[in-house]
Amino acid sequence: MSSSHEPFLVARGLSKNFANVSALQGVDLDIFDDEILAVVGDNGAGKSTLIKILSGAHQPDHGEIRIDGKITRITDPLRARALGISTVYQNLALVDLRDVAANLYLGCEPVRWGWFIDRQAMLDGARKVLADLKVHIPSLTAEVGQLSGGQRQSIAIGRATSHRGRVIIMDEPTAALGVKESQKVLDLIIRLKEAGTAVLIISHNMRQVFTIADRIVVLRHGRNVGTRWRSETTPDEIVKLIVGIETGQGV
Amino acid sequence: MTDLAKGAEPAKDFTDGVISTALARDEIDPDEIGRQKPQKIGRWLRSRNMTVGIAGVFLFVLFSLITNTFLTMFNLVNMVRNVSLIGTVAVGMTLLFIAGEVDLSVGSVLGFLTIVFGGLTVGIGIDPWLTALLVILCGIGTGLLNGLIRTKLNIPSFIVTLAMLTAYRSLALIVSGDRPVSVDPTGTFYVVTGGTIFHIPFLILWMLAVTFVGGLVLSRTRFGYHVYATGGNLEASRDAGINTDQIKLAIFAITGGLCGLAAALLVGYLHVAEPTTGTGLEFLVIGAVVVGGAELTGGRGTMVGTLIGTLIIAIITGGMVLLGYSQGVADIATGILIIVVGTIDLLLRHAGARR
Repeated sequence: MSSSHEPFLVARGLSKNFANVSALQGVDLDIFDDEILAVVGDNGAGKSTLIKILSGAHQPDHGEIRIDGKITRITDPLRARALGISTVYQNLALVDLRDVAANLYLGCEPVRWGWFIDRQAMLDGARKVLADLKVHIPSLTAEVGQLSGGQRQSIAIGRATSHRGRVIIMDEPTAALGVKESQKVLDLIIRLKEAGTAVLIISHNMRQVFTIADRIVVLRHGRNVGTRWRSETTPDEIVKLIVGIETGQGV
Repeated sequence: MTDLAKGAEPAKDFTDGVISTALARDEIDPDEIGRQKPQKIGRWLRSRNMTVGIAGVFLFVLFSLITNTFLTMFNLVNMVRNVSLIGTVAVGMTLLFIAGEVDLSVGSVLGFLTIVFGGLTVGIGIDPWLTALLVILCGIGTGLLNGLIRTKLNIPSFIVTLAMLTAYRSLALIVSGDRPVSVDPTGTFYVVTGGTIFHIPFLILWMLAVTFVGGLVLSRTRFGYHVYATGGNLEASRDAGINTDQIKLAIFAITGGLCGLAAALLVGYLHVAEPTTGTGLEFLVIGAVVVGGAELTGGRGTMVGTLIGTLIIAIITGGMVLLGYSQGVADIATGILIIVVGTIDLLLRHAGARR
């Protein structure tokens, strides 16, 4: 399905150095509009650097990013959001002492008369975002810090979807969750894809990757060492790519 | 925490999920946590103001019983008037605390600005209204300076404002030659600052007005939401596009401006500008804010809480002084109160902490 049309985002030759460490060396990446793309790799393979560049937190030293064919500079997180790229960070970036509604609208609260919070619009909008995701949060006025890990993850994802973005980047969305809650988040990711939003997911969990991803990008030592359709690969091959053992299929 | 066990009962899935048969690692259903704990915490938050309020009422009744003069209109009005400048400046300090900042220089800035007031209106002969405006602008300037050093040089506000505490006090002493300046208290300015209306001192009305506006800004505006966000999670706020440096700069400026207002009100009331004015004010202001429930770690606090904190300090100070103790002893009592309240908060926080 995705292969039939042009990718939403095309990155070519992304490189990034930190002091003497070369975090990324000429990485290429395509993101299509309705796919789940998994980025896998060992620690230090460059996954975090890659998503930080896509989410506007870092600037690449070399390389270019095209969105809908146009060369684009993602200068900061706000710019990324405007371009349709939302990020759910591993730490979720929630304000624990504030309620669900305030977190969903963090930084873009609806206002009346330019200054005053439109609380009703905020609650209505929050209810709609969570309903669209089919997420049940008991109270919109509950402090986020008091919710469970899965609910917090849902709120972070809800905030990303509420920006009406075209791709949502998720960094280890289930790393801190139990089995049951992980499953709920994975279901949610699949629903996002069905609704037409691309999801770029970083995960260490091979079983999860093979459950939900359409394509798998493998990074190793800051290089893209392979991109595979899930249907045309095996966990064994991916693991070999991650650790750098020849598979005979050519990279 | 024990009612969490109730969560073990099977509950409706929070998704209409495909797989809900997966065995949960822990049997606590997240829905139940969400459903119960916020209520508990909400109750606690409401009850924090309630508990502190009850403690205040207790002290109020106590002092009413053991002295003949506490429960008189004269004393009550005096008592609240005595803390009205503390309450005014505490509005700015509350914003700072919520954003995770502090301003130790408020007392010295107040003292310095009273000298500026005296100099402008007596020395140069500027109209007191215009003088008040200039003094408030001057206060905003001191706040901006604090905020700029804090945000541009990234020096902790504790250090910046500690330095300013000494600097402005010394400046006040140098500029004034360590001599008080008396103003000529004629004209409406001195009525609407130091006077009364229906036996209510204008100072109290100013405090209430500033607290009301401050509370409105904090709880109902986007700016207020961003103040909470800045102190609650700085990194997340920045990622969400909030200009946290600008927020901090603004609230330092507001606090400075309120010091200017307080200086103008004080000269309007006392009719004299003294370089030692406001010595130790930072202690009482921070005390009111802390008793009111705000925390230096940021993200927490309300204007109502701060008003309650201010009134409790009024009751303790007023009561102790009526019992024949000095202001110094009253300050010791206030200090003990701050430690007690801080300890209770910490214990409650640990009890309410997540797993």
